[in-house]
Amino acid sequence: MDEPVKDASQPEPLPSPVAAPSEEGRELLALAICVAGWAIPGLGHAVQKMWGRALAVFLAVGALVILGAGMRGNVFASRGEDAFATLGYFADLGSGSFYFLARAAESAGPDVSHSTGDYGTRFIATAGVLNLLAALHAYEAARGRKA
Amino acid sequence: MPAPPPVVHVPFTHLQSMLLFALIISLAFGTLGRRRPADRIRYAAWSFLLFMLVGIAIGWAMYPFSR
Repeated sequence: MDEPVKDASQPEPLPSPVAAPSEEGRELLALAICVAGWAIPGLGHAVQKMWGRALAVFLAVGALVILGAGMRGNVFASRGEDAFATLGYFADLGSGSFYFLARAAESAGPDVSHSTGDYGTRFIATAGVLNLLAALHAYEAARGRKA
Repeated sequence: MPAPPPVVHVPFTHLQSMLLFALIISLAFGTLGRRRPADRIRYAAWSFLLFMLVGIAIGWAMYPFSR
């Protein structure tokens, strides 16, 4: 309704040619930090010197994975039998390198015939989702958003 | 033939599993979600309390259908 009237005599300011590459570089760095945070839980925060958060993420994801595997939860493989197994695989994969730790720790295979094993499956999946959340948090912090 | 690897088994009850889960996630949420230590502790405690309350409430809500 009340659109501001543009003054045709004054040209619109052009974007600064210096600012663009730095903004692009920052976005690339943020993406690299996000991937690092996914690959090794807590690394995304550690490279930004957020030591408390890095330690909390590393310990939380590590504890969930180790406890989940110890409870003989199911670590889903890439060849899922149904949609839920595929979703479980993506959730498990969220813990990055810890996914392979879970597979190694699960030497005796899953046992979901007891409730403990079923809870273990949820622990491992939650570790993955929590790590994805932490990686996105590190990404936002690297982009300069309030985190 | 090599001996099979020892089976590591962590036996937890339903309540112990829920307590452990709520504790770990609440601490992570508190640390990620807030900056000041006092705010982190408050947020983690509140989150832990809600996890437990909602978990027990859902457990009781399912009780009539469990038999």
